Amino acid sequence: MRQVSLIAANFLREHRWPVLILFAWIVLVAAATGDFGRSRPVNEDVIFYCQQQAMYICVFSAFLAADAIHNERKSRRILLVLSKAISRGEYLLAVILGTSTMAIAYALLFGLCGVWLTARAALPNGQLWSIVILVMAGSVIAATVAMFFSTFLNPYVATAMTVLLFCAPGIFRLQRHAWSLWLPGLPILVDFLRFSFRSDWTVNWFAGVIAILEAVLFWVLAAAVFNRRDIAIPVE
Amino acid sequence: MAEVLDYDNVTKDYGRPWSKRRVQALNGFTLSLERGEIFGFLGPNGAGKTTAIHLALGFMRPSSGSGHMLGKPFGDAPTRARIGFLAENVALYHRPADKLLRFYGALNGMRPQRQRLRAREVLQQVELAQEADRNVAKFSRGMQQRVGLAQALMNDPELLILDEPTSALDPLARAAMRELLLEANRAGKTIFLSSHLLSEVEMICHRVAILDKGQVVKLGRTEELLVSRDRYEVVARGVPAGSFEQSHALDGKVMFTVPAVSQREALERVWALGGEVISVNPMRRTLEEVFVELTNKGASA
Repeated sequence: MRQVSLIAANFLREHRWPVLILFAWIVLVAAATGDFGRSRPVNEDVIFYCQQQAMYICVFSAFLAADAIHNERKSRRILLVLSKAISRGEYLLAVILGTSTMAIAYALLFGLCGVWLTARAALPNGQLWSIVILVMAGSVIAATVAMFFSTFLNPYVATAMTVLLFCAPGIFRLQRHAWSLWLPGLPILVDFLRFSFRSDWTVNWFAGVIAILEAVLFWVLAAAVFNRRDIAIPVE
Repeated sequence: MAEVLDYDNVTKDYGRPWSKRRVQALNGFTLSLERGEIFGFLGPNGAGKTTAIHLALGFMRPSSGSGHMLGKPFGDAPTRARIGFLAENVALYHRPADKLLRFYGALNGMRPQRQRLRAREVLQQVELAQEADRNVAKFSRGMQQRVGLAQALMNDPELLILDEPTSALDPLARAAMRELLLEANRAGKTIFLSSHLLSEVEMICHRVAILDKGQVVKLGRTEELLVSRDRYEVVARGVPAGSFEQSHALDGKVMFTVPAVSQREALERVWALGGEVISVNPMRRTLEEVFVELTNKGASA
């Protein structure tokens, strides 16, 4: 497990600049929503900010994870890492851990910005931390599914496939069915879109738990596929 | 002697089975490395050397056949903690040399105290101790290659697999690297060395395999490969210089070479001329001559 955390830390270090830029983005958008042009933000703006950032964090996690293997193969740095006593499954776990750590930090920052915004808008913020936790679960499943696709697809196609897998059922309104709870990502997206500061909005915790279980399943699948890949073949 | 690396009839194809661009990199490749030897792995570009190395490390799977490294099937992750690998065109993370080496050491399960100690030792071995705190991104290619070798030595491996380790080095650094490899070998490490620098292989390798079009075309002890059984060198005394084709005289001795089939005839001629035969030895060739002969033969076929 120590090797996994080392690779994850190294992964974060390698991606520190895009991550920091996105941290700055979340703060700047909060500042813009809370302060620009009027004395205090309206309820709808704060809700939109929360929904938008929740989606962005998940999409960014998917992008980051989808690109990880490709980047390392392209630079050929993966060869020295995988010439050590590291299995491919552990390597993928490290990528998920790195992405998830980033997503958790991103979600916490989003929560803090949300606290400031709700205070300015004089809204109750009890619901806010529920969506922050759901964002964390959403990021983990988004990153894992994107990484699974990236084991056999180009990173851009892998991200597109992840978005399609998460959103297509929603286009066909499959969320009306009880079994849609088991579709990867969909119940979390639905919760994001239903989000409000009203007391009747409650988070679907079961969706979060299922997302984590599905992430484990996708990691196992990704490891099985990645084990069969020729990683020394150069990628474009 | 125990085998540390063993390929058994390995074939590796690139590309999909139905693709017209399908390439066969290895074809029925069989090879065994014995413990404690320095093994030279030669071949022209595209012969399959790097593919063979990558198969051993588990970076890819053979299309058919199998292999073992330190007694375990290729790709076994825990076994890799006992080997050191330096890739061709080494790619390193942009971190200070010392931290980078400790990172690679930690990936092999080394404890922090041992990492610190070994990082210092191996940086000294590759003559980069003064640069320990500098970011490797600022290093020259040759220095990066030396850091690459240092990371391969970090875990004190039983088997060193080196793919073109001296390709980016200047002659002085190359000589230092040679010494380092000999020292590692004296310390009991087996070395699998893929290189284009034939003179170097000739100097340090106990055994050599020449690979062409995915197959071993020659395998043997370096000394034996360099000895030609087709031509002999005769040294004689008391015969006029120029009595034999392409002969030359030195300190009263005449030296010339003859094909193996006419060796007896040449010796009788020396005696007939009233001379004395001092020595008859098989001709010694350079590894480059052997290499060109074998790989050209393959090309013309």
